[in-house]
Amino acid sequence: MVFFMFLFEVCFVFWIISVASGPSPYYGVVGLVFGAVFGCLMLVGVGGSFISLVLFLIYLGGMLVVFAYSVALTGDPYPSAWRGYGDLFCMVGYVLFVVGAVMYCFDKWSLEGYGDVVMDASGLFSVRMDYIGVSWFYSYGCVMFLIAGWGLLLTLFVVLDLVRGLAWGTIRSI
Amino acid sequence: MNPHANMIIMSSLILGPMITITSSHWVMAWVGLEINMLAIIPLTGQTTTTHEQFEASIKYFLTQAAASSLLLFSIINNVWNTGQFDITQPTNTLSSTMMTAALTMKLGLAPFHYWLPETLQGTTTMMTLILTTWQKLAPLTLLMMINQSLNTSLLVTLSLLSMMIGGWGGLNQTQLRKIMAFSSIAHLGWMTMILTLSTKLTLLTFYTYITLTTTMLLTIKLLETNKMSTAMTSWTKSPMLNATMMLNLMSLAGLPPLTGFMPKWLILQELTKNHMTIIAATSAILSLLSLFFYIRIAYYSTITLPPNMTNYSQQWRHKNQQKPYLPLMIITSSMLTPIMPTFMMIL
Repeated sequence: MVFFMFLFEVCFVFWIISVASGPSPYYGVVGLVFGAVFGCLMLVGVGGSFISLVLFLIYLGGMLVVFAYSVALTGDPYPSAWRGYGDLFCMVGYVLFVVGAVMYCFDKWSLEGYGDVVMDASGLFSVRMDYIGVSWFYSYGCVMFLIAGWGLLLTLFVVLDLVRGLAWGTIRSI
Repeated sequence: MNPHANMIIMSSLILGPMITITSSHWVMAWVGLEINMLAIIPLTGQTTTTHEQFEASIKYFLTQAAASSLLLFSIINNVWNTGQFDITQPTNTLSSTMMTAALTMKLGLAPFHYWLPETLQGTTTMMTLILTTWQKLAPLTLLMMINQSLNTSLLVTLSLLSMMIGGWGGLNQTQLRKIMAFSSIAHLGWMTMILTLSTKLTLLTFYTYITLTTTMLLTIKLLETNKMSTAMTSWTKSPMLNATMMLNLMSLAGLPPLTGFMPKWLILQELTKNHMTIIAATSAILSLLSLFFYIRIAYYSTITLPPNMTNYSQQWRHKNQQKPYLPLMIITSSMLTPIMPTFMMIL
């Protein structure tokens, strides 16, 4: 299990660095998708199975799909992938930054005590007690749910308004 | 803008700070700040004629998004260290310092003030009004709620720096909206100076600042002026409004017996009570810088007439668009100092 967590973390960091250092949004979306997948798997590993599913659905299945569609509609005809030494320096810089941040924060944050509430003890059954979240969404978390839904609706209208005038609107040649 | 989009965006603009102000959970406070930021971005980006105008909303978005993510990071750090999401409980040093940085970035205090003059210049006057008054509500409330965990030296340093930058930065400006931006930076410096010592005075300064800035920006909107050159000849549109603009400017500068003097006086008193006399004297001296550019606007718009023929009269047709609450706001922005004990009792 520790090895799974390590594997997921390494893949997560790799794909997120590929998003951050990539010059084109086409390949950035790919990196975001896989990075989000591994992030969700990491969440499962530390005991948040329900929150991981919610992240999968809303972030990957909602936001990223819409983002991928819009990138496909408005992208460059010849997208640029990693080439040249500039992107290599970017990637090396990000790796050093991540390593530096982990070294700084290592003894502040530890992963002990997470995911202790488990329904099965053999270590491979990953459904945890946070599945109670399914019903809490509608009882204790009702107001938060409504506000989150309102926020998403607002984001839709804001984005539609920002890209309204094609060549005259707010986002022109930025 | 499309009426449906306008309705959703306007109601989110009001809903955002309301959520932040009434929340005791850090995540809800952050959600309110995000809703606020999202709602105001299309409003700031409505006019896109000049280069400056269509960059204003992008600059605003980038700064506020960076500040929100820094705030979220400090919230998570706080949760890790203390195990709870309550705003009213004390936070640890790293979290409170990062929260200070994030919230001062949202407010536009020095050294994170660079976005404010350009954003205020690039939007319409009504949006400048909203950006300087309503948008300051949520971050300032959060700062007031966590004030017992904040580092006084850091806040005093930031506020002295803000007063310096607000004073010196506004000296070379001719555009009135940029002058209002630097005046906003200086006033926020006064507000955060006294934050750890007395949140009551921060609130009083904030309310006074809202009244004064609203009156000034509504006057600018009614006189349809943005530069000092057009402010010189704006008396022909409404002479009375021009005269009261001078009173309002003197009130912004903090001259007694006008309203703007009241918070400055009480802040200086509170600082001297806490044996911070040199800081009090420095801030009083730094407000002289702002006084200069306020007096300059008043001089060119109200006190002197621009060169013209002797028979210089008002415009033949006056403006149809009036703001009925503006006279009340002018009175509020000039005459509240004698009833200062009421405010100390109320707040």
